[in-house]
Amino acid sequence: MRKLLLSVSDGRGFDIGLVSVPLAFLFAMAGLPLIYNIVMSFQEVDMFSLGTFARPFVGFKNYITLFSLPETWPILRNTAVFVIASIAGQFTIGFALALFFWTGFPGSSWLRGLFLVSWVMPGLVVGAIWNWILSGDFGVLNYILREVGLVSGNIFWRSDPDFSLWAVVIANIWLGISFNMILLSVGLSAISQDLYEAAELDGANVVQRFFTITLPMMRSTIGAIIALGLIFTLQQFDLFAAITAGGPNNSSNVAQYWAWDMSFRQYDFAQGATISVIMIVFVMIASVVYVRSTRHEVRG
Amino acid sequence: MTTHQIELAGVNKYYGAYHALRDINLKIRKGSFVALVGPSGCGKSTLLRSLAGLETISAGDLVIAGARMNGVPPRKRDLAMVFQSYALYPHMTVEENLTYSLRMRGVGKAEARRKAEEVAATTGLSNLLGRYPRELSGGQRQRVAMSRAIIRNPKAFLFDEPLSNLDAALRVHMRKEIRALHDRLGATSVYVTHDQIEAMTMADHVVVMRQGVIEQQGAPLELYDRPANQFVAGFIGSPAMNFVPARAGADGQSLVLDLDPPQTLQSPKPVAAGRALTVGIRPEHLQLSGEADAALRLPVGSVESTGAATYVTTATQPELVIVLNSRVTIRPGETLPLHFDPSHLHLFDKETQVRLA
Repeated sequence: MRKLLLSVSDGRGFDIGLVSVPLAFLFAMAGLPLIYNIVMSFQEVDMFSLGTFARPFVGFKNYITLFSLPETWPILRNTAVFVIASIAGQFTIGFALALFFWTGFPGSSWLRGLFLVSWVMPGLVVGAIWNWILSGDFGVLNYILREVGLVSGNIFWRSDPDFSLWAVVIANIWLGISFNMILLSVGLSAISQDLYEAAELDGANVVQRFFTITLPMMRSTIGAIIALGLIFTLQQFDLFAAITAGGPNNSSNVAQYWAWDMSFRQYDFAQGATISVIMIVFVMIASVVYVRSTRHEVRG
Repeated sequence: MTTHQIELAGVNKYYGAYHALRDINLKIRKGSFVALVGPSGCGKSTLLRSLAGLETISAGDLVIAGARMNGVPPRKRDLAMVFQSYALYPHMTVEENLTYSLRMRGVGKAEARRKAEEVAATTGLSNLLGRYPRELSGGQRQRVAMSRAIIRNPKAFLFDEPLSNLDAALRVHMRKEIRALHDRLGATSVYVTHDQIEAMTMADHVVVMRQGVIEQQGAPLELYDRPANQFVAGFIGSPAMNFVPARAGADGQSLVLDLDPPQTLQSPKPVAAGRALTVGIRPEHLQLSGEADAALRLPVGSVESTGAATYVTTATQPELVIVLNSRVTIRPGETLPLHFDPSHLHLFDKETQVRLA
């Protein structure tokens, strides 16, 4: 007992004590709901059994039902398109902007800070603004496209099944650019200027420097950002709620919105939980990539 | 065909209103080892970076191997630089670091590899080619940085305080190694350092800078023997030269030192009577003498012995330092009879601090 007290006052016990508090918090607030969700996906749940944990287990029945639904595969496909297109757009534009601000023209750091405004705005507000921009009749996006001559008639972004998903993708790219840009800027500024000077003297031109110094030195940052981007886009709910509500006819529905719809509008909690479990698998994969890429930092 | 590999004529550099380099004129012979030395902020690194093209000069001409290089980007100047931080590419192995410049020039893989092995053999890196910089010691990183420069066979080597991150023993060793390498390659080298000993021991030609101005340039011993002004006199040599304010005697042949207690010396050269001067004498040039032929009699303040030499600090105002290369028993409070070779006395104008011819 004395030994235990001693270790708490000045040894490993103290470290364990410090770690255990957030660990307990995490377990209670994130771990338990996660487990509860997984358990629920193997149970039969309805409005009346919601209050109890003792519900009939049905094995994989929920999963089998889910994949027999006609909308399942299109929605999963939408989710993949949404995630890939959003990350590609956010990353490419974010990286381009990060490189642009990195040149350090007068006022660059000030302007870069302003970009964060888009990221601190609530998704619902962003969605409302984009609703106006994307509006079929009086939207400014249609106006620009028409004036440039890219389209002849108005595109009804939110109600045309061919465009509804892309309406949310565009808004989500706009929302995520600044986050990507800031993280990539941090990665860029961590690269020692000496390396560029050495490469310059070694005869590398701008393009060669980008591919032989910048990109390889940014590898861990890029890995982390893509993994975080995957997690954030899979979490993106507000924009769907604000812009298309998954419609028309599920053409812009994605797994995260569908899970909410299943659980809290159709009250099919088991199906909602099942969709969530499938998403957890993907987020887990992204987390592994994230942890691995931050561990493999290459710094002189 | 000029024998000057690098020529700077009337080079000036401004950072906004700050005048970083003032009228730099410098000619660097092919095959010579030139050291740029001075206190921090003197412009020596700016000058080196201007040579490399990492800074643009505001005025003047920069000529490398006969071609004017003012606006030419660094990658087209064919100069190799060894950075203070080494600037090794952390994500590349030693071999990839060495061959980087060759690959950028489109040299074939096999050829690059052969050259890397060749250079590595001469710098003792042969069994480290597969390692990453983070797996190397400080001295080994230094060698990689050097090898990366050597492999290109450039028009000149630029060194930016390459030894300042090494410990003292390794620094002395690398000093010799760099100089030996320079001689073996027949290279032209420009070496920036704040350490005057490095400059004196390594270079053929030393350039002393202060506040963007070249105070003096010449062979190391020339700077030691005939410093052009009080700054160079104080900067070159360790421990630093003693300076004593003085006034020429009425006869123009003697110097009255403003020491407490005052002393009178025979002037090595005639000076206008009453002229205010600063007299300089190096600590190693003051020697013990017999009572009879003493030129100076100074009270002892403190004594430090390193075994090889004895450092005496006098109890005068200002303090003088004397280095005696013998083991002598001296106690604080004694009065030391000293003499010196009059040619070792340096006279500087009090106002301009310039050496009297």
